[in-house]
Amino acid sequence: MTKDLAILAQGIDKRYGHIQALKAVNISVEEGQIFGLIGANGAGKSTFIKLLVGAARANGGSLRVLGLQPRKDRRALREQIGYMPQSPALYEDLTAAENLRFFGQGHRLDRLNEKVKHTLDFVQLSMRADDPVSTLSGGMKQRVSLACALVHQPRLLLLDEPTAGVDLKLRSTFWAHFKDLAAGGTTILVSTHQMDEAIHCHRLAIISEGSILTTDTPQRLLQRGRATLHVWRGEQQEKHAMQDYPIDLPKTLRKYGLEAQVTRLELVTNSLEAIVLDLMGSSPTDLGGNT
Amino acid sequence: MEPFFRRVFSVAKRVLRQLQHDKRFIGLSLMVPVAIIYVLYVFFDSLNNPLLNANAYVFPFGAYIVHFLTFVLTAIVLVRERVTETLTRMMVNGYQQLEIILGYLIAYSTLATGQSLLVLVEITWLFKLDYSFATLASIYLVMWLLAVISMALAIFVSNFANNEGQVFPFIPLVTLPGMFLSGMVISIEVLPEWAQVLSRFTPVYYATEVLHALTSGGNLWDESAALLSLPAYGFVVLVLASFTLRDND
Repeated sequence: MTKDLAILAQGIDKRYGHIQALKAVNISVEEGQIFGLIGANGAGKSTFIKLLVGAARANGGSLRVLGLQPRKDRRALREQIGYMPQSPALYEDLTAAENLRFFGQGHRLDRLNEKVKHTLDFVQLSMRADDPVSTLSGGMKQRVSLACALVHQPRLLLLDEPTAGVDLKLRSTFWAHFKDLAAGGTTILVSTHQMDEAIHCHRLAIISEGSILTTDTPQRLLQRGRATLHVWRGEQQEKHAMQDYPIDLPKTLRKYGLEAQVTRLELVTNSLEAIVLDLMGSSPTDLGGNT
Repeated sequence: MEPFFRRVFSVAKRVLRQLQHDKRFIGLSLMVPVAIIYVLYVFFDSLNNPLLNANAYVFPFGAYIVHFLTFVLTAIVLVRERVTETLTRMMVNGYQQLEIILGYLIAYSTLATGQSLLVLVEITWLFKLDYSFATLASIYLVMWLLAVISMALAIFVSNFANNEGQVFPFIPLVTLPGMFLSGMVISIEVLPEWAQVLSRFTPVYYATEVLHALTSGGNLWDESAALLSLPAYGFVVLVLASFTLRDND
């Protein structure tokens, strides 16, 4: 059975003067999914998110977010979405709690103080709740920004590069938060250019120069990569390139019957980054591989 | 309380909290007009011209300084909200255009109240002016109204700038006609007809008309049309600002 769609974008075009920021973008996101929008800087990720929150107007195509039109029904839509812009977008003179309270008040929330406290607990910032944002580290500001997007418990969370400039440990904490939220039924659309994050998403769309190159699960995207089996017989090495390695690998190994001389086997697959760069038509110089 | 008013006061409270934290901003906003008025005093004192009635100039100049500073500060603060994306975030979080504008007006009116009062007291003291309390209160009301209108005008103009740099061309465009075309420096009757028409587009013109009537011994209602034009001007700009405050590009 098909789940309800939280986002349905069909043939979306967006121009800024003579610059075509988005070209015929088609994306559908099921409710409860973590959907990753992957692309380089300037690929059109932020523009697409701005269209979803109604902060930009499309030049063509049809867009439904939670069944509503982002510009026409923006008042009804904005009660149900949380938006984390790329910049922290916080009031630096105010404390973390004051920022949350202020943005929460826009949503006519009951028991606001309780929700502010709960949200700060969730992003593990209760200890710094009463400190001015200007005194917090970059990572903490990102967490306050995330908390501001969460304080009204939205159905759909739109996150524009939430982990940009965030260290590895905090990044993993963020993804743990996103997974918790998705498990609770929140739909998340997250943009990133960090390929190692893409693997956490249920589905991905690869965007380049305003066009969607492909949409798939991370696992299926990985399968699109080339894999090379390295077989050593003593000092002698043989390489077998495979297009569809989950199917081709057993066939290739069958040929060897695992002879006694086979001393070492190594399967080198393209990384997601290499696959994405390949899709974008780039020629990576240092791709590396996953063994 | 109605959600509309709750959100208006929420914006006002937030802006006031920020002002409270930014003591340098408050200090500069209050001390800069005081310093400029003192320079104005030195200027008139140095002219030492018995034929020049400084009284006719000083209050319109004082009002103009408050207008200029209020316009510049409000426009920059609003554009900063756009640059840092807090304006978009406010709107995505449910705040409406009119709620944001009214919240700003309420918060910055407290600053304008202080600015206008300081300017009035300083001018009266430095120039040794001897007006009745009713006249001074009327002058204060006109200066305060002009300050509030300047804020609304700044909010409206801020829509046409995407960053602080783009605000600067608007500063002379909006404020300098007020200096030359309001009747503050020369009578508007001597200006060409097109310039006289243009003068009606600057709020300083209406303020100057009322201030001239007050400083020449009249009362607040002697220039009732100009006096009523001030809130009417403010209302029109407020409506324009609330329709044009952008949350989209």
